[in-house]
Amino acid sequence: MPDIAFVKPTLPRSGALVLPLAEEATLAGLAKQADEATGGAISRGLEAAKFKGRKGQSTTLWAPGAGLSKVVAVGLGKPADLAEAGAEAAGGALLGAVAKEREAVVAADGLAPGLAACLAMGAVLKSYRFDRYRTTEKEDDKPKIERIAVAVSDTAKAKAAFAPLQAVADGVFLTRDLVSEPPNVLTPTDCADRCKALTKLGVEVEILGPKEMKKLGFGALLGVAMGSAQEPRMVVMKWNGAPKGKKGKPLAFIGKGVTFDTGGISIKPAGGMEDMKWDMAGAGTVIGLMAALAGRKAKADVVGIVGLVENMPSGTAQRPGDVVTSASGQTIEVINTDAEGRLVLADVIHYCIETFDPRFMVDLATLTGAIIIALGHEHAGLFSNDDTLASRIEAAGRATGETAWRMPLGEAYDKQIKSDIADMKNVGGRPGGSITAAQFIQRFVQNKPWAHLDIAGTAWSSKDTATTPKGATAYGVRLLDRLVAEHYEG
Amino acid sequence: MAFGCSTAWSPNTTRAERARVIAVRFRRGAPRPETPCIVPLAEGATPPRALAPMLAAARFTGEAGAVVDLPGTLRWLVVGLGSAPDAAACEAAGAAAALAVGAAEELALSGAGLDPAAVASVAAGIALGAWTFDPYRSRDVPKRIRRVIVHADDPDAAEAAFAQVAPGIAGCLLARDLVAEPANHLTTRRFAERLEALTEDGIEVTIHGRKWLERHGFGALLAVGGGAADPPRLAVLRWRGDLPLPPVALVGKGLVFDTGGISIKPAAGMEAMRADMAGAAACAGAMLALARRRSPAPAVAVLAIAENATGAKSYRPGDIIRTASRRTVEVIDTDAEGRLVLADALHHAISAFRPRAVVDLATLTGSIVTALGHHRAGIFGTDAALMASAAAAGEAVGEPLWPMPIGPTHRAVLDSAIADLRQCAPAGSGAWGGRFLPDACHAAAFLREFVGATPWAHLDIAGVDTAEEAHALGPAGPTGFGARLLDRLVALRFEAEP
Repeated sequence: MPDIAFVKPTLPRSGALVLPLAEEATLAGLAKQADEATGGAISRGLEAAKFKGRKGQSTTLWAPGAGLSKVVAVGLGKPADLAEAGAEAAGGALLGAVAKEREAVVAADGLAPGLAACLAMGAVLKSYRFDRYRTTEKEDDKPKIERIAVAVSDTAKAKAAFAPLQAVADGVFLTRDLVSEPPNVLTPTDCADRCKALTKLGVEVEILGPKEMKKLGFGALLGVAMGSAQEPRMVVMKWNGAPKGKKGKPLAFIGKGVTFDTGGISIKPAGGMEDMKWDMAGAGTVIGLMAALAGRKAKADVVGIVGLVENMPSGTAQRPGDVVTSASGQTIEVINTDAEGRLVLADVIHYCIETFDPRFMVDLATLTGAIIIALGHEHAGLFSNDDTLASRIEAAGRATGETAWRMPLGEAYDKQIKSDIADMKNVGGRPGGSITAAQFIQRFVQNKPWAHLDIAGTAWSSKDTATTPKGATAYGVRLLDRLVAEHYEG
Repeated sequence: MAFGCSTAWSPNTTRAERARVIAVRFRRGAPRPETPCIVPLAEGATPPRALAPMLAAARFTGEAGAVVDLPGTLRWLVVGLGSAPDAAACEAAGAAAALAVGAAEELALSGAGLDPAAVASVAAGIALGAWTFDPYRSRDVPKRIRRVIVHADDPDAAEAAFAQVAPGIAGCLLARDLVAEPANHLTTRRFAERLEALTEDGIEVTIHGRKWLERHGFGALLAVGGGAADPPRLAVLRWRGDLPLPPVALVGKGLVFDTGGISIKPAAGMEAMRADMAGAAACAGAMLALARRRSPAPAVAVLAIAENATGAKSYRPGDIIRTASRRTVEVIDTDAEGRLVLADALHHAISAFRPRAVVDLATLTGSIVTALGHHRAGIFGTDAALMASAAAAGEAVGEPLWPMPIGPTHRAVLDSAIADLRQCAPAGSGAWGGRFLPDACHAAAFLREFVGATPWAHLDIAGVDTAEEAHALGPAGPTGFGARLLDRLVALRFEAEP
């Protein structure tokens, strides 16, 4: 992650200079100084390159003079439409253009301090790279950028605006790391151990193993873990940020953490199975979210709980036809061992209610392929028994570009998971597959305000986007951080 | 007055079709002893004194849809209306009672203590629940309900209220009749003839055949219908109304059978593909409803009728076809044919009639079934107000919708390397080893390319056109989903000048 510094607008004598420019903007401030210092080379170059400042447009001028190695112009679009997302996207675009420089100066002196901070955030988010396992990469192919100096008129304001964003970016990077890690490295135990690092930020971390979970009656979660040589874990993370006198019920975020999902005895087809290393993205998101909230010292009491298991086929694995008793006492007929995420969530949610009696719960899970067939990769599926909570999540999603699309719940769908032998079965057939999964979870929420985000389509991206390199997206960290910031602090 | 709430019939109509009429009559007085009598009761309502002990013993509380069958010299079927007996609850109660009756030719309905609108709704529910489809049984044909005698406190008012709802029922039952027909009987030609019969009700019907389609460049419809022995048809139904406004356009997918074509479907369950014309059937039903109730709103239905067969003249994956809008489309999967015929039909509806709004209905994708199951249809579109009205209409008539998105990524996958558009994303190009594609969203994004600026909504009804089991408003089989919804949508939104 490059260092971000906010500096007074002074013309650099060397290196790269970035000019974020809106449509039909004339060069002003630092950009104008640079143009003058280069004898008008910049304005001539931009005109020759037909740079119009359109959103997503980017032009590089090499060695324009005045000692500068390059000038990069990035488009901000129409000035009237410029908002956080546009500034972030421009930040993402500029990062690509200066990645091979050690340092770059961004002439953001024409932008409001808040937007300059967003621009820096975009650059930071786009700089993510998971290269821990590359040992032979050529030095030339590696990005070099170490420092981005954002020139603004009011450095204090921009710094203040960026500080919480930096914490959120740290959380996003943590999530992306966890989700990117291969499943032979990131086992349930390993993932739980990594959560301990959050204590440095002031998060209380408690780790429960199979013994403790057995005592709590976690028959559903333990059933999933049965087939694996890896022990399951549940991690409870508490951030107590609410000021004294404003303590109340905590907010709760719950994540599905299947560190690898073979499907178990109901084994998955081989094609694409490697993707199942990110079947713990719900948990990864909750862990990153807790880091973000603690990192920016959010004024709220928040608990994050993740259920970590590996779903393997083996002689000790759970079978289709098994009936398990969940922590809530409700029994579940396991029809398909590949519908394991909801089994994990059932016990964790029950524990969360019994232990914390939260104000609301949001669970995140890469739960169903059906949600991809329903919505694709643009939106997560949002299911909720609480319209206020749901509309707040939708709004936070729009604001952060991590959008959620509301999906229906209802009694007719609930009937699909009736079992002949137990209280419910763990699959309801193909029709409405994501809805019946949500109905299953809803049977454990005891009518508390609850929302479920099915992030199977959004946790991983096969393409680069404006601020996210392909791979783990950390979808949900920014959305839920925004949800907390907008409605539950102060 | 006897009120037939029947399917449209004309000299063209077969005797079997004409026989499937349910007559609803309104009277004062008590039912005849040999006629089973339906008694609707709200929660907390006082039951008739003679029935009170039996109902108490059966623990009947008036719960919505609960039926208690009390056999005897006079057979009573008491049905619960629930605590809030609105129109939907009354219809569901009527349907539940009709489904519980079994073999009978005549039913009585006791409307004592109910207001005329509630009586009419229960009667409407009986007509929906009593629908059967037996023209192809040659022996042991079960008795079916032919007459409903409604005994109401104010028979004239009840009859007048029923006259308001009966057109929608007639439309729904027409749609069910058409959807139930097997594909060797309801060929493209025969479907067109059945639609021509709607002229009896004052609807103008134009059927465009292959030559006309060729002359006007309907390349998509011709390609999809090319492999079949029976040629494709474009049916245009017009109801003039009396408002001096452009019409609202209804566009329906009418694949009388869908083998999938060269991209042939698996054998299991393929027989259900006779219902792949349910969108067109619903539009036809809605037009009948508008005509029967003499809606002031001008309306036009454009129905794309074809059979997607495998044959020597079938279109192929990789073909490029030129649609009626002149835009070219690369065919990826011949089983994604619905969006192709709709592209031509939407273009015709918009270019020939300049409608106020266009709503299309289609059994379009398996994806929508995975998304929403069998309890809601998906609605996509470009006009939030139109979509909200459609959803409200659906809730009112028991045909619920759920909004679904069309986003930039859904459109982006339709870029073709060789034509203006490709028709869908290739199989295997989805997530997780290629298995998961949001095809319903892709299909909607494809259709949007052909509607321009006209306010548009698209209903993907693939999950709701046929019910595997008896449902709230009818038996297992075709539901007629969409006919009543569209009729109600027109009533809510298009019968006043803006």
